[in-house]
Amino acid sequence: MKVHYYTGLAAIVLVAIHILFRLTVPEGYSASLEYENVIANYKNISYTLVLELILVTVAVHGFNGLRVILLELRQGDAWESAVKWLCIAGAVAIIAYGTRTIILASMM
Amino acid sequence: MKENREGVKGWLNPTRYGANRFAYWLQRLTGLGLLIYFIAHVIETSNIVYGKSAWEKMLAVTQTNEGHIVLMVVIGMCVFHAANGVRLYIAEHGKGIGRPGRPEYPYKPTSLGLGMKACIWVSVALAALAMMYGAYVLFGEA
Repeated sequence: MKVHYYTGLAAIVLVAIHILFRLTVPEGYSASLEYENVIANYKNISYTLVLELILVTVAVHGFNGLRVILLELRQGDAWESAVKWLCIAGAVAIIAYGTRTIILASMM
Repeated sequence: MKENREGVKGWLNPTRYGANRFAYWLQRLTGLGLLIYFIAHVIETSNIVYGKSAWEKMLAVTQTNEGHIVLMVVIGMCVFHAANGVRLYIAEHGKGIGRPGRPEYPYKPTSLGLGMKACIWVSVALAALAMMYGAYVLFGEA
């Protein structure tokens, strides 16, 4: 469970930074979501690093949590192996897809 | 031999609710809700790479009253899950759960004392406050 607790604590800090980027725009929350503003966020290297860290920590925390719930509901070698690999595949897929967005948006 | 396994029914059985079962159930429910939101959020924000019109089309769907209500629920789930998660982290490290003792009637668990119960209700209160702040930000600009 160590990985679950540490990714959880890291996610609290990182998500707080992510939300502050939406709330600290002087023109307001809606203005923070305007295309030009979001692209400017992606061009900020420090912020893209935070986004990538959020992507990895939340994906690992979320899919590990799902694995824990599914293993509480049912046990057995085949089930446990299937759940483990499905959760790893889910986490890898969402990290890859999100990383693609971060890279492409930062180059626009 | 019949297996002693209740699955989801055991999870959701309301006849055994105490503060800890309520927190256990809500931690899992909010966790699943947040995982679904996280996947949807990664997919919706990927529209940025298809240009301004794709981004604005996505905003036209999500920046609506219904979208704001969904976001308020997500804020509440996120704050409860985080606050209750910190409580579990503290308990995992042996803090605030009392000393182990002989089980004696009425079998009150030392691991769920006043402090832990208070932390659960504080987590709920923080989630409610965050939802109200979220509503103020999201609907305040309308």
